[in-house]
Amino acid sequence: MTSLPRWVALPVAAVVVVAGVIGVQLARGGGTYQPLSPPPACAERPVTTQAEGLEGLTERLVLIGLADAACTLGVSREELTLDLARSGSVTDEQVDALRDGLLSATRQMKSDGTLPQASDLLDEALTNADLNRYLERAIRALPDRIVNSTVRIDDVLERAIGALDLRALLTDLSDQDAVEDQVNRAVTRAVKDSIIARVKDLLPDLPGLG
Amino acid sequence: MRRAVAPLLAVTVAMVLADSAVVTLALPDILQHLDATVGQVAWVLIAYNIVLGVAAVPAAALLRVGRPEVLSAIGIAAFAGSSAACAAAGSIEVLLAARCVQALGGALALVGCLILLVSDRGERRGLTAWITAGVIGTAIGPVAGGLLTQAISWQAIFVVQVPFAALAVPAALAVRAGKQHRTDRHRPALRANLTQALLSAALTAALFLLVLLLVEGWKHSPASAALTVSVVPIAALCAAPLARLFSTPHHVEVAVGCFLIAGGLAGLAIPPSSHLGWTIAPQALVGLGLGLTVDRLTTMAMEARLPQATHAGWTIAARHIGVVVGLAILTPVFTADLADAEEPAQQAITALVLDAPLQPQSKIAVAQALGDELDSQHGQVPDLSSAFDGLEVDPAERAATDALERDLTDQLERAATLAFRDSFLIGAGLALLALLTVLVPARRRAS
Repeated sequence: MTSLPRWVALPVAAVVVVAGVIGVQLARGGGTYQPLSPPPACAERPVTTQAEGLEGLTERLVLIGLADAACTLGVSREELTLDLARSGSVTDEQVDALRDGLLSATRQMKSDGTLPQASDLLDEALTNADLNRYLERAIRALPDRIVNSTVRIDDVLERAIGALDLRALLTDLSDQDAVEDQVNRAVTRAVKDSIIARVKDLLPDLPGLG
Repeated sequence: MRRAVAPLLAVTVAMVLADSAVVTLALPDILQHLDATVGQVAWVLIAYNIVLGVAAVPAAALLRVGRPEVLSAIGIAAFAGSSAACAAAGSIEVLLAARCVQALGGALALVGCLILLVSDRGERRGLTAWITAGVIGTAIGPVAGGLLTQAISWQAIFVVQVPFAALAVPAALAVRAGKQHRTDRHRPALRANLTQALLSAALTAALFLLVLLLVEGWKHSPASAALTVSVVPIAALCAAPLARLFSTPHHVEVAVGCFLIAGGLAGLAIPPSSHLGWTIAPQALVGLGLGLTVDRLTTMAMEARLPQATHAGWTIAARHIGVVVGLAILTPVFTADLADAEEPAQQAITALVLDAPLQPQSKIAVAQALGDELDSQHGQVPDLSSAFDGLEVDPAERAATDALERDLTDQLERAATLAFRDSFLIGAGLALLALLTVLVPARRRAS
């Protein structure tokens, strides 16, 4: 029996070493070392927030609404966010999807019990509002039960979302003051309309509320 | 002086070949300093290799009819002068013109040094010294360039070459070269030169793209990138003793070398993280492959072929045209892949910012800072540290912000690595093609 020449060891060693290096790289995740891929458009996106009060509520609402709108448009939440942040013009489809998403988020939060009551937000709202101090004191003196029965957060949110000029808001996202101003105006108006509607429900025959 | 002749000529050979890739790590600095575009700056590398590749064979022809010592001295002097001009260049146009002259002088110097080394040291030792100097120069080029750029400046790369080349001029004139063969007695070694060209194209991926990945993709300093890629020359130096240990036939040695380069490039395409350690083993494979192939192929292309200078010209031409072909194939691929990687990277960044455990106001501030940074770095891998450095966050959120910065940087490194993957795999494919040229049986001539 003839033995193999000594040089055969070199190609054999080369194959073993190359296979070893590539094998180790692949076993340690080399083939999958790539950027995080966003989940599919309608995948469940858990929403958490570090903020409390109005900021926390707004963040949860926006994140859930964004995910819902992305699902409607058939794109990932991240793709929609980048699209809205980048493009100067927002499409009707995007505006409609976002409004529907925010309304759907309100309903979802109401149904899963994560929507706060008006009394939970009252203190913060009054601090931020530029109200006459006697009026502010009077409102603060109201019992929570009355506040909560007069101002229903879901109704306020739905009215505010309906009144928001989402196109202008999205086109001007970089101007934080303008965004805050528009949201505050829409929320103030929604609170007022909601209270009037509530009082009308309670006292349907009271004149001057129509 | 007599004893310094051969070392000075060998250093000249190493410098001329090192210049093929020496500026790789300096390209970002040159781009910034000379206010050039990415396309223009790539030509600092391409122009040198094209001119060297095209001028090598005519230079050999010139050396056959003229006095080699005089022509070599002229070539070395032109190389020295144009190196100084490169260092002094105030515009990209001047730098490119100087690089072309540098390559012209380099072609004459390279082939001339072979003739002079053979005349000075004898056929065998002269050829070995020429080939070894070439392998060392090719392998250490990017390392030397990176260290000089980091330690001093990109101009230093060219400045340090001037005194060595200036000293090599009298060294060249001190040699009495014998009479050269004036007629072509043998045809160029097609197979060895083709293999060499394909391997050079593949090695472009290793030497050029790897340093780009380290500096631009993973944001390492040129010095740490240079130290990292020094694995290649070290492994290349270990290759020859390894081959001798196994008494390997030449064609097997070359085939194994091609396979190792292909394997190393495939390994570089799939690192499990951006830790520099993951590039060491693949680089060692590339270095071993380089050491097993380049000197052996050069010997095979020149062995028993006359005139030797002409065949040296052909092998230089094959090598540098290979580099240009490699750049021509790989540059558009990785540029396009880098652009394609932008969207997934931005989506990954968006996901992390949206889900970050930060207050909404902090998220908005981070998003705005990142948006500005991403906009200003279009076409390049952004440096997120500058976006985070200017950020004012609540001290209570500092830990979460730092964690977010780390996660975002990781996503960018992942995207950059992915963008280079195809180019490394194409490089591996070129090395396998080179292996094929070795494995295909030679056609036997009819007797």
